[in-house]
Amino acid sequence: MSLSCILRRTSSFLSSPLLLAIFFIPIAQAEYVPAKTDSVSGSTHRITLRAAPLPSGQFGYQMVSHKIQTAGGQTEDVTARYSDKPTIPGPAIVMTEGDVAEITLENGIPNTDQPVSLHVHGVHFDIRSDGTMKMLNGVADEAAFPGKPYTYKWTAAPGTAGTWPYHDHTFGNPMLGAEDKGLFGTLIVNPRSGKVPALINGKIEDVNVGDIKREFVLWMHETTFWGMEVNNILKGKQVPLWTNPTVGARLGEKVRFHVIGLGTAFHTFHLHGHRWLNPGTTHVVDTVNIGPISRDTFVVQAGEGVGTGDWHFHCHVIQHMQAGMMGDFKVVK
Amino acid sequence: MNKFRKLTTAIAVSLGTMSLTPIVSAETASSEDDVILSVPGVMPVGALEMTDEPGRWFKDPTDGDSLVVVKPGDAVLIKMTDVNAEHTITSLLWQPGAAKFPVDQDKPSSASVTQTFDKPGLYVFTCKVHPYMFGAVVVDDPNTEGLDLGSEIQLVTGAKVPTTSDIAKKLLRTFFVATTPSLWRDYSKPNWDLKLPSIPLNLGGTVISLDALNVSMPNKLSNPATPGVGEVWVNAQFETIKGKSKPGSATQVDAANWTIKKKVKGVDINMNNPHNMWTDRSYKYIYQTEWFDKRLVTFDRETGQIYGALTVGQSPSHVMSRPSDDSLTVALNGEDRVLKLTGGKHPTAQDSVNTGPNSGPHGHHVTHDGKYALTPNALAGSVSIVDLDSGQASTVPNVGVIPIAIWGDATDKAYVANLLGTPPLLSTLSVIDIKSKQKIKDIDLAADYDPISGKTTGEAYGLLPIQTPISPDGKYVVTANTLSATITITDTSTHKVVKSLPCEPGCHGVNFGMKKGGGYYAYVASKFANDLIVVDMDKLEVAGRVMLADAKDADIVGNNGMGGQGVLPLPVADHGWIEQTAKLAGSGQLSAEVESWLGALTTAQRGIELSGKIVQSEGKH
Repeated sequence: MSLSCILRRTSSFLSSPLLLAIFFIPIAQAEYVPAKTDSVSGSTHRITLRAAPLPSGQFGYQMVSHKIQTAGGQTEDVTARYSDKPTIPGPAIVMTEGDVAEITLENGIPNTDQPVSLHVHGVHFDIRSDGTMKMLNGVADEAAFPGKPYTYKWTAAPGTAGTWPYHDHTFGNPMLGAEDKGLFGTLIVNPRSGKVPALINGKIEDVNVGDIKREFVLWMHETTFWGMEVNNILKGKQVPLWTNPTVGARLGEKVRFHVIGLGTAFHTFHLHGHRWLNPGTTHVVDTVNIGPISRDTFVVQAGEGVGTGDWHFHCHVIQHMQAGMMGDFKVVK
Repeated sequence: MNKFRKLTTAIAVSLGTMSLTPIVSAETASSEDDVILSVPGVMPVGALEMTDEPGRWFKDPTDGDSLVVVKPGDAVLIKMTDVNAEHTITSLLWQPGAAKFPVDQDKPSSASVTQTFDKPGLYVFTCKVHPYMFGAVVVDDPNTEGLDLGSEIQLVTGAKVPTTSDIAKKLLRTFFVATTPSLWRDYSKPNWDLKLPSIPLNLGGTVISLDALNVSMPNKLSNPATPGVGEVWVNAQFETIKGKSKPGSATQVDAANWTIKKKVKGVDINMNNPHNMWTDRSYKYIYQTEWFDKRLVTFDRETGQIYGALTVGQSPSHVMSRPSDDSLTVALNGEDRVLKLTGGKHPTAQDSVNTGPNSGPHGHHVTHDGKYALTPNALAGSVSIVDLDSGQASTVPNVGVIPIAIWGDATDKAYVANLLGTPPLLSTLSVIDIKSKQKIKDIDLAADYDPISGKTTGEAYGLLPIQTPISPDGKYVVTANTLSATITITDTSTHKVVKSLPCEPGCHGVNFGMKKGGGYYAYVASKFANDLIVVDMDKLEVAGRVMLADAKDADIVGNNGMGGQGVLPLPVADHGWIEQTAKLAGSGQLSAEVESWLGALTTAQRGIELSGKIVQSEGKH
């Protein structure tokens, strides 16, 4: 038996329920111990992201490398899915409940000493992966400085399925970060069951995630939609759609919208000619409220009951509509 | 994808049927394009971020200036990043025939714009609420010589002018001065050297160098030979101050010896762009608007102690009391209201009067009898006559483009400055009859100026007028003109401009104070200079230029004395107010200092020898 093996056994004994019971039960207020998550069953995502400037002086996250190691041990390099430049929104990272991700962030912003970070919503992480500065988290400056990357670990534990934002929490302002300047992106966690409820042909049914042909990520910021398509027909190919885009699908395809808010404004997202389930309910809606960093994710069957056409989508706040906060859902044969 | 293509090609080859090949190659060539059905929207290649920072109101995040150069077909994102108030993003000038122009947000908000530019040339954006916030986009065709400004520019007023014209060059020079604090006229230096880089500009085929717009002139300060009575408060709105992220101070100048007494900076409350002031009848409090914010600040005149900062609404521009009861009126420039408040140490909002949809009232004026508040509705191009007792507002429509400041006389007339004139006139004062609620006429402030050649043939030379008070004796309207950098003096009996005096870049604020021994001074402050001009109203001449910068104050980190806008001389020279203060003389309610000021006034200055009309209107109230 090797030394490391002994150490491993010892440490597993130290954290065993028996030992915990012996030492901690008599104490009335035992320290909270987070539930251990089973990370072995899923894949491990090894990701390198970079925060970098855009020509406009805004910033974006850029995918440098994404490799997925399955539970079986095979590794697939999926970097080619992504744009090779920084984008707004940043790369959409797709995981499944049970997966873990180790994400190294590089600071690619020139002429600055400001740290840049990655703060994610929804999934599990320990305090060292919070993506904030020590003044907020009390532990460490969890950010990438120029030449000094920082690595975060996210666990898509059971119960974290959904669409979540990730964003900077430090650049330029240690309380706010620079999400307002473009440093935000999307994390999609698919359920372990592989099924999501949706309104299909007028009935609520479970749709196989594998049957979703296209994912349309639409961020609502001030009076602009910033879009990204994840095309599942092309194995997760990501297409930056920039501002107020046209998103396109074929009639009858199951497509999933991920609508997320950002900034200070409150929006009402409306898509013409389509209805969907308000998540977790049986309510059928065609307009949802989207506040800062709140989101809605829903599957529709393109053109269901209404056919092909240019189906307008927009924020239904009048002032935002006037400012051009709109796009087109193009459904073709 | 390549793999897929190779495979289908292999199959086609193995089949060996020529007829199939075209079909297969068509499919393979378009396969990925065919799967992606989405069409990306525009990706902005440049950005202008709106801020409260002096000069950098539309800031290019890549280099910090207010100018973005792009290629035809490119898009620029204009957004509000570091602002405390709502603004509009509006085209001030653009290329005639450019697609999707002009840009105009009719109401102040926080909305951003992503704008695509197809036609080469110059485009300037502003905010209708704060119309010196400037940002420019130059769409440069890389195949032409120099930076393309286009052969013509279309102004928001409807006028179209050649870029080679004098007026276009003045606008261009003003753009660079307004957006570049290092180019502001600093009277602590011996000269004002406006030095622009030598960049070739293509004016529709005519190539000139940007440095052709350079200016050099000596800076000469001088105290007026005759002292004033009392003091002059000036908002140095662009001073940057240690401990504050937002700019501006209220600078107190002693009119007896023309020195700075103090600067009220509001560090604890981060006082933001202080724009205009008023006082109560005992001169105990100074009320201060924060124009790029939402608050009305009250501070102690003598000690400078801040008593409070009350949130009143979007972009409060001017504040004035009703002389009858010291209650306050505040124009909410980013809204459609005049707010009525109680006076005293802690004003509280009582009521508000609506001035009409999308009106954006700016520099309002309360009539001497306290009956009306007159509002120049900058966004609506109209004037409202607000009855402060009944709360009813009547509107005089179609006055001009961006009416920005108004002043009522002791009769029934008011004069309103239209920042962008009354088309086709470039620069106007409109005369309003308060009784009939009508515009009587437009006075052409630039009647003696040729906008093409730049030649002036007489005194009427005022471009982009701003504050425009009437002298307390009712004889003259004194107007600060920001583009021509001139002070125009209009005779109220003939409605003719009788004098044009040299001002400063960004000439902006005017108000009257008492001259020792009788008569009045007009005090004029300028945004992009740090002197206060003193105009002798008996001689209609510049009597002196007084420094607003305090070189000894280490807490001022930039733009020392710059940003001159609101001017409040004390004692208040206007009839209606001076009488109320004079009544308190000897009552024990005034400080010894104020008593001494009143003691130095002539009977005419104290308002005792009033014209019959004023007595009459006071009696009515």
